[in-house]
Amino acid sequence: MTTEAQLRTSPEIGGMGHSVKRKEDPRFIRGQGEYIDDVNLPGQLWLDIVRSPYAHATIKGIDASEALKIPGVLAVITGKDLEGYKLHWMPTLAGDMQMVLPTDTVMYQAQEVAAVIATTKYIAADGVAAVLVDYEPLPVIVDPFKALEPDAFVLRPDRGPDKQNNHIWHWESGDRAATDADLAAADVHIEQDFYIPRIHVASIETCGCVADWNPVRQQLTLHMTSQAPHAIRTVLALVAGGAGLPIYEQNIRVKTHDIGGGFGGKVPVYPGYVLAVAASFLIGKPVKWIEDRSENLQADSFARDYHIHAEMGATKDGKITSLKARTIADHGYTDAAADPSKFPAGLFNVITGSYDFPNAFVEVDGVYTNKPPGGVAYRCSFRVTEAVHAIERMVDILAHEIGKDPAQLRMENFIRKEQFPYKTPTGWEYDSGDYAPALQKAMDMIDYAGLRKEQLEKRERGELMGIGISSFTEIVGAGPSKDFDIIGIKMFDSCEIRVHPTGKVLARIGVQSQGQGHETTFAQIIAEELGFPVADIKIEYGDTDTAPYGLGTYASRSTPVAGAATAMAARKIQAKARKLAAHLLEANEDDLEWEPGKFSVKGSPDRFKTIQEIAFAAYTNHPQGMEAGLEAVDYYDPPNLTFPFGSYICVVDIDKGTGQVHVRRFVAVDDCGNIINPMIVDGQIHGGLNMGLAPALYEAITYDELGNNLAGTFMDYLVPTAMESPAWETAKTVTPSPHHPLGAKGVGESATVGAPPAIANAVVDALWHLGVRNIDIPITPQKVWAILHEKGIS
Amino acid sequence: MHFEGSVPIKASRDKVWAFVTDPDQVGQCGPGVEKIEVIDATHFKATAKVGIGFISARFNVAMEFAEQQPPDRALIKAHGQAPGSAVDATAELRLSDGPDGATVMDWSADVNIAGTLASVGARLIEGTANKMIGQTFDCMRAKLEA
Repeated sequence: MTTEAQLRTSPEIGGMGHSVKRKEDPRFIRGQGEYIDDVNLPGQLWLDIVRSPYAHATIKGIDASEALKIPGVLAVITGKDLEGYKLHWMPTLAGDMQMVLPTDTVMYQAQEVAAVIATTKYIAADGVAAVLVDYEPLPVIVDPFKALEPDAFVLRPDRGPDKQNNHIWHWESGDRAATDADLAAADVHIEQDFYIPRIHVASIETCGCVADWNPVRQQLTLHMTSQAPHAIRTVLALVAGGAGLPIYEQNIRVKTHDIGGGFGGKVPVYPGYVLAVAASFLIGKPVKWIEDRSENLQADSFARDYHIHAEMGATKDGKITSLKARTIADHGYTDAAADPSKFPAGLFNVITGSYDFPNAFVEVDGVYTNKPPGGVAYRCSFRVTEAVHAIERMVDILAHEIGKDPAQLRMENFIRKEQFPYKTPTGWEYDSGDYAPALQKAMDMIDYAGLRKEQLEKRERGELMGIGISSFTEIVGAGPSKDFDIIGIKMFDSCEIRVHPTGKVLARIGVQSQGQGHETTFAQIIAEELGFPVADIKIEYGDTDTAPYGLGTYASRSTPVAGAATAMAARKIQAKARKLAAHLLEANEDDLEWEPGKFSVKGSPDRFKTIQEIAFAAYTNHPQGMEAGLEAVDYYDPPNLTFPFGSYICVVDIDKGTGQVHVRRFVAVDDCGNIINPMIVDGQIHGGLNMGLAPALYEAITYDELGNNLAGTFMDYLVPTAMESPAWETAKTVTPSPHHPLGAKGVGESATVGAPPAIANAVVDALWHLGVRNIDIPITPQKVWAILHEKGIS
Repeated sequence: MHFEGSVPIKASRDKVWAFVTDPDQVGQCGPGVEKIEVIDATHFKATAKVGIGFISARFNVAMEFAEQQPPDRALIKAHGQAPGSAVDATAELRLSDGPDGATVMDWSADVNIAGTLASVGARLIEGTANKMIGQTFDCMRAKLEA
């Protein structure tokens, strides 16, 4: 933890380590945030979408005549209409193709089939109800294993003659032969299947946009909910170019406004956005589209849906020697994952976790099914949640199998501090870590030894209590340009800083807040580097006309990449400020000393110039031959990813009568390197823990055999509220990243990644003595009750 | 979803057969049926309002007597659509003589429900369907036994 003594800046300046109150909150708590549905333009029309009831069907015809009779319905757009502009298909971020609107076949329930444009929202909805679509149902595949059977219906015949099957790609990492050899020879060999079900980010704000094509200015302004506005601008320009439309990138402005939660769900380009743009282009008026909750839950991209078969080899005293994982990834009807191009299964090969062992092999096969596109994040950095769940569950199973305490087994297998930078058997280089102290801290906080004693006593009385640990390693901050790109665009990020003559600062960043607090934390980075008070620094983002190009906010990349860019841009400004100070103080640059907020002459602390004085001089008294102004921009290409980590311990009590799992205590010790704002980090951890509790106990999107989404409302998709949430207990250790300019690592997703296996491990720990080895998440009362009932307990 | 059952009806087999194969008569027993339109001897259309939980939808249903073996067996196929929802069903009726001049109607139906109704009403569908089936047969029996 950064202590007060380590703070480099005063509370008035508010640099790193200060719990500065969030600059964005006044507008949120006063109801003056501007979300997408708050954007209304003069003459605006509404777009609503006709969606398919079938998960797989041929469209025999679309009859819009009744809809067009409704006063106020202006147009009905179908796939056939778009086909004329070659706009009926568009590329996904993963390089696959997805339909904007189908011309002949629908691929999942709730897929877009037609768009109705009307003068009001309600007339548009009436128009949707009046469009008659004639469907011929086709066989539905919801099970990815059935999709891979040789005689399975080919869902994507458009892929070309050599790809007439439902297999999208195969990806593998590590050494298969060495891992197989070790598993065959190992003293202990354990195997387990895990299913990580589909879940949905269910952000409070659904997706939407207002597309505004001005035919006179030939200008497209797209107000929208996006975590990556620059990428959207480029994709729009490419799609328009492919369709021969005169919408050029310099004339496209994407504006995001405030965003009510993203978590990965607002990275993809959804058909609704493209339809609104197409409608505005055709009609020449602004067109607004806002999803309703069920559309959001049924049709937006999903996370997870991984079927993992894991094997682990170990010595008889519990030293792990190998790990193997074979995974089937259900991507729905198109691969629309937002993973970096070279990583179709994301960073899933971080599956070796926090442990030091030589042999690992992981393989993933992507599969098509009749479901909406899957594979986006759910507050997890590219498939890390699935990986962490598998390794942390396997470690616990190993511990129970050989009768060793799970905490002890972890301690004995951790990568040791002195082994960093640590090369994993799947090829990652962990930047820094110190795992044992984090686990020890969590054990001390929760009185681990006392809990184990209590558990023994309770077990004798027949009570069910479990303790679960998760000592996860995250991998965030994508990423280094040699390996990381999305649709070819390298995953750098950016910051541009302008210091005004009066010593006030405007900074624009390439990433996008969806609630993270960028306006505060990025100001703190500049305050740390330049000594301007946070109150004097304004952070802007989300307007592609003004912000520098960046790949956006997801995968916990804002601080690792754009945060680094901000520090580097500030350092460029500090370097120029030094020259200006030397000029003002009539001293040699090398004789100047920097402390946050001023340069002084070495040995003469009274001779100094404040950064504000220097800023004024940059415009009023700069030396001849030097450019005026005090501005800098930085496009930061990180040399490596960052690897935050933590140890979580969860205590559960299980109601024998109902099977309900009660999380009694949950201690989260996180290490995200140097901390910019401890209060915001705690908020991120709290939110992340809730989004880890959710899939562990409540959330899952399931489908019936006809492909109907059975979680299309918040009645069936159980998002935990304050009622379900335990009182989270948080603490930190600090192991700085050696390569990040601020030593920071990123924290947004650590808790979501780390929490589910702690909870699952606690539940299984409570039931292991009954012969229970695994329960797939979400661990619902029904599942637990069925097990207790079968064991004669309930 | 598969449903099946057996209903004893105190009426002759010919009378039951005539009733169940006459869209205008049997149609009146369908819950929520607002309109029956006979296309020809084996095809007819119905409009019915169906509610499951808080969702209700007006279905346009096309029905067909795919097979008829009077007075023993009939196979009925139905395809219904409402905004955002669709129903496809195949029902089989088998009539046989029961005791005391009564008729036993064994029936089975395979029903596929797609879209919003299935997605949002999933937990309620089976119960609602059973209730609607019960109402249908109660109505048929009342009319036939009257």
